[in-house]
This record gives sequence, structure tokens and C-alpha cells, in this order.
Amino acid sequence: MYYNNKRLALSIFWVILGVVLVVLCVTEVLDSNIYSGMGGALIGVGILQIIRNLKYRKDPEYREKINTEAGDERNSFIRNKSWAWTGYIVIIVQAVGVVIAVVLGQHAIQMVLSGCVCLELVVYWIAYLVLSRKY
Amino acid sequence: MKNHIEELRNAQGMRQDELAKALGVSRQTISSLENGRYNPSITLAYKIAKLFSLTIEEVFIFEED
Repeated sequence: MYYNNKRLALSIFWVILGVVLVVLCVTEVLDSNIYSGMGGALIGVGILQIIRNLKYRKDPEYREKINTEAGDERNSFIRNKSWAWTGYIVIIVQAVGVVIAVVLGQHAIQMVLSGCVCLELVVYWIAYLVLSRKY
Repeated sequence: MKNHIEELRNAQGMRQDELAKALGVSRQTISSLENGRYNPSITLAYKIAKLFSLTIEEVFIFEED
């Protein structure tokens, strides 16, 4: 069961959080448009997920479609592969960014990007260690 | 990996979506399997072989690189 009560509760939580953010912005407790934008987005996403959840419960065809998509091993394979590609691309782009920052003398950008590359490599090695113990 | 899924499916008069439903996967997965673009997990390979009452070796053609 893909859309379970836990997912429904999470969707309701997003809507509530969104409403709180919007209300705080309207009452000028928070004075940034970023928060109201975030609130609006959370309300939108939460409502969409609630609608999907309710449709999932009422419509057997939709339920079967979602269950098949969620449990399909090729989809899972593609998702994992996409994350792997994303990781490779981000690290390479950041590494190139470090070189460009060095050439342009942008010390702060160079430090931030170098830090990101190091952090990502550390996370990779931790993930590798954890997974190699699991499998 | 090459396989006989398309022939076996046609021999049974099944459509891709019917086979997909029987195996609990998407129609795209069946299409990718038939074209040899995607290699199934051992679990799915077993399910496919069982559905056609064959062994995995009879459905899939193993080719060493």
C-alpha cells in the first residue's frame, strides 16, 4: 500500500505548516516573502498529495497503477541510477568550479566548493561502508 | 541479455500489458525486457520462467562478455 495513513498524515502536516507560515507572514511576524512563498508551495504540495491519497483509496484502478509503478523493479533501478548519475555530475561540476574559482582568484567560492566536494566524498564513503556491511 | 519472452508471450496470445499485470510490473518493463535493454532481477526472472512453466535457462540466453 503506497498511500498509507502515514503519508496522509505527512500531507496534512505540510498543509498545516504552510498555513502557519502564510499566517505568520500576513501578520508580519515573519517579514520575508520567501516564507510566504514556501508556505504557499507547502499548501499546494500537501493538498495535491491529499487528493492523490484519497483517489488511491477510492479508485481501485488508480491504486493498482500506483502500486505497480511504486513496486516496479525497473523504475526502482532507474531511480537509483539517476541518483548515482546526479552524484557524479554534481561532484564533477563542483570540482570544475573549484578550478575555475582558483583561476579567477575567487577564494571564498573555491573554499565553499572544495568543502562541498569533500563532504560529498565523505558521505559517499560512509554510505559505501554501511552498504558493504549490509550486503 | 537476450531472451524468449516475446515469443513465449505471443505463443500464449498475451499482450504486453497482460503479461505486465500477471507479473506485477509496468508494461514498459516488459517492453525493455523483450528488447534486451533491461536485465531482470533473479526474482523477476524466476517469476517469468514460472509463469511460462519453464526454467530460467529456457527463457533467458546467457552470453558471456
